[in-house]
Amino acid sequence: MEDKISGIKKTYLDKISSAKSLGDLDEIFLALFGKSGEITQIPKEFSKIPKEDLKTIAPLFIQTKKELEEAIEKRREEVREEKYAKLSDEKIVLQPVLQPVLQPERLQAKIKSDGGHLHPITQLEHEITELFRKLGFQQFNAPHIDTTKYNFELLNIPEGHPAMDLWDTLYVECKKCNVNPGELLLRTHTSNAQVRIMEQNKPPIRMMILDRCFRYENLDARHEHTFDQFEIVYIDKKVNMTNLQYLSEYFLKAIFGTDIKVRMLPKYYPFVEPGAAVEGQCIFCKGKGCKICSKGWLELTGAGMIHPQVLKNGGIDPNIYSGIAWGFGIYRIALLKYGVPDVRQFLSGDLKFLEKY
Amino acid sequence: MTERENMKVSKSWLLELTKLEVSLDEVVRLLPLRTIGTKEITEDFIELDMKGYNRADLLSMRGVTYEVAAITDSKVNFDETDENEYIWESNKLPQAKVEVECPKLVPLYCIAKISGLRVEPSNKDWVKKLEDCGVRSVNNLADITNLAMLEYGQPMHAFDAGQVKDEVLIVRTAKDGEQIVTLDEKKRDLIPSDILICDSEKALGLAGVMGGKNCEVTDETNTILLEAAIFDPIFIRKTAQRLNLPSEASRRFQHGLTKKRLLQALSAAIKMYQDLGGNLEAISIIGDTSEPTKKITVNQGRVNSLIGVDIKPEDIENYLKRLYFGVKKIENGWELEVPYYRLDVNIEADVIEEIARMYGYEKIPSKKLEGNIPEKIDQKLFDFIYNLKISLVDLGLTEVQTYSFYSTKILSDLGFRNSDLIKVSNPMSSETEYLRDMLWPNLLEKVAFNLKQGYESIAIFEVGKVYVPRENDLPEEKYKLAIAIADGDDSIQKLYTIFQKLNEYFGDTKLEAGESELFHPVRAWQLMKGGRQVGQIGEVHPRITNKFGIEKRVAIIELEISNKQACDLWSLKIRNL
Repeated sequence: MEDKISGIKKTYLDKISSAKSLGDLDEIFLALFGKSGEITQIPKEFSKIPKEDLKTIAPLFIQTKKELEEAIEKRREEVREEKYAKLSDEKIVLQPVLQPVLQPERLQAKIKSDGGHLHPITQLEHEITELFRKLGFQQFNAPHIDTTKYNFELLNIPEGHPAMDLWDTLYVECKKCNVNPGELLLRTHTSNAQVRIMEQNKPPIRMMILDRCFRYENLDARHEHTFDQFEIVYIDKKVNMTNLQYLSEYFLKAIFGTDIKVRMLPKYYPFVEPGAAVEGQCIFCKGKGCKICSKGWLELTGAGMIHPQVLKNGGIDPNIYSGIAWGFGIYRIALLKYGVPDVRQFLSGDLKFLEKY
Repeated sequence: MTERENMKVSKSWLLELTKLEVSLDEVVRLLPLRTIGTKEITEDFIELDMKGYNRADLLSMRGVTYEVAAITDSKVNFDETDENEYIWESNKLPQAKVEVECPKLVPLYCIAKISGLRVEPSNKDWVKKLEDCGVRSVNNLADITNLAMLEYGQPMHAFDAGQVKDEVLIVRTAKDGEQIVTLDEKKRDLIPSDILICDSEKALGLAGVMGGKNCEVTDETNTILLEAAIFDPIFIRKTAQRLNLPSEASRRFQHGLTKKRLLQALSAAIKMYQDLGGNLEAISIIGDTSEPTKKITVNQGRVNSLIGVDIKPEDIENYLKRLYFGVKKIENGWELEVPYYRLDVNIEADVIEEIARMYGYEKIPSKKLEGNIPEKIDQKLFDFIYNLKISLVDLGLTEVQTYSFYSTKILSDLGFRNSDLIKVSNPMSSETEYLRDMLWPNLLEKVAFNLKQGYESIAIFEVGKVYVPRENDLPEEKYKLAIAIADGDDSIQKLYTIFQKLNEYFGDTKLEAGESELFHPVRAWQLMKGGRQVGQIGEVHPRITNKFGIEKRVAIIELEISNKQACDLWSLKIRNL
């Protein structure tokens, strides 16, 4: 038995060192470790060997197996490196492969037979921005990495306030940036744009923010730590809660159909007063109550009249102007609209998912 | 105790405290419409969704009762205890021995010494009340503290007086390096922002967070020192979070307490101990017990202009009276006295919300936006990005979106230096610890993923932000475009074709040979514009792709698109694509 093992070792180490390609090595691997490979077969004979002999044979076998595995891996690397060394011979002159380039059909046919796909979130976001552009809202760009000042403090959320529990925050370190530790974070909501918008614009204001936010969240079918939010900031004279109801109806009817019923409920957010949750009647059970909704209603957006202190923080006189902040998580709307079962699919890069849209 | 964000309201206790004019089912229907969302509802309790909420009053049965009475137009079935009715007012008692060394953090601290007690199981009524509210019954002496907390919202603690050295309680902040063994028998390291309750030789408990092992009530306890206090909410929050010790008590401290409720709860608890045969021997009340009444003036015009509905003044008055506001009519509005337990009502807008929810949010009609459309601001970047995406899709590419983080595989296999990247201090896992400063590595990962699941050719792109540290400023956030093509040996030529097409609209971008260990030694170029590198194009080095299990050639391009000038140019031209 010992001779047999040594024999295999010698034969195959030779084969391995003379292997020229990854294909050769794959063959050797199979011959050794495949279902009926020589190494695979050996332990099957152990039952016939006296216990005393096994004490020397078993360790020898384990050692040999390991050496062969390592030899294959090492040779694989060498073969690869030999290939890599030849890369410098692969010089090419870049030139368009298809002419003329302004023929999408041909490129398409060449690159992928069934054409490309816009991400479902991009499609939904485009639909939403077009909807609100019609009402005169314009997109505003705000940072993803921001300070606690804009993400919390100026929004009426002082450090140590229990309302902080609403946002499980990811904090960021950046020595170069020279910001005190604990003051830099990944924005937890698009509301970090609110005071920036007020600082940079005079009323009347109709702005929208549509972008990525982050929370400390463990992933499951319903939770993502990275997600998109949509939010509008609307400030003018005489803005009131009936406008809030209008915006909610305008949006939800456009997305889910004109027969959806929409209602507001009291809800606390530190940066609005009065604050509201907006519910739509469940699109699946039409209000009868089902697994997806809560007694016939789905909570879809959060909103409210901008808190007078937040207006002041943005340099706007709350005695003259009032405002609405209104927003929602894009993924939640997309899950409902497209019937996607798992929120993690959006950032999966899985073409099988993306090609459905 | 385990962490619970919500308030479980015992139905039978609620009925005991209210002269309810409607059914409990109606209460369940109205609560989310008028007050707060509900979670689980059973035969025994209604669970209020308190996450992040500001209604400290709803963390007590009495507070909930006031609210339920208001929204159902019912009356509460109890009186507010007057100051002269407190149990200690009737006879002169000696002071309990207490020293508060940090009065700023402890505005009110009360200790009552009660003797002659015997530990027994609680009666059925108490056990049901506790269990309905989600609190486990321990024994009669401990249960009284929890019953008082649940009814009044004021946390309480009972120390076994026999275990308190010299029967003196000292309230102070912890010293560096000090330790305590808490009730859960864990040794805790303390820092100077922890508030401690100590006796003359040792620490007995972490104020507001958890009691100590060495002085808990046991079967032998016959004399207790009953504590009711207000501690600084921010300090309590810090301690509870650092030691990961959330509790029923600590969240009430964090939400805020009132002195009046504290004294009422203390008086009620002492009465309960007396009913068990206990003797109140001594009491100390340290701190100012007065509670100023908040006054708010509300303008009728403001109410209606913010809600957008003309609510009759008599209705407004009625709503506010039902909520136990003191209401005085003045010209154009009212002068209000806020109920002492409504810590959340401080300004006119808060009162307007009270009126709106009593009126019924769901009755507010919809009205179109009025006023002028504001001036246009620059939208070119957004237009450009959308048009770019559409153009690429037209060319046959599929858009992917990936995380803003680098995976551990990318970090190790591409050999990125962590020090160049922006780091998350408290990541969910090592997969979300570093923020991306390029897009293409994530695309490479998606190419590998899709090849593995059977795709033979892949053409994907992403437009998104990358994050780069910047001196003395927020990190720079740049929008970038990345494309990855894995479609045969001429992938790089195909990508070049696409690039050329984009380049017609991108302005004058030139290719320059550039070497990088991540790329093919002779099939990689830097993209230069105005003497500055704005991106790169090339085949990813097989040493890298092999590590991702990819044997095919992968060509990538990465381009900055934050340049405003380029955007202007692109947005003009790309529509013609």
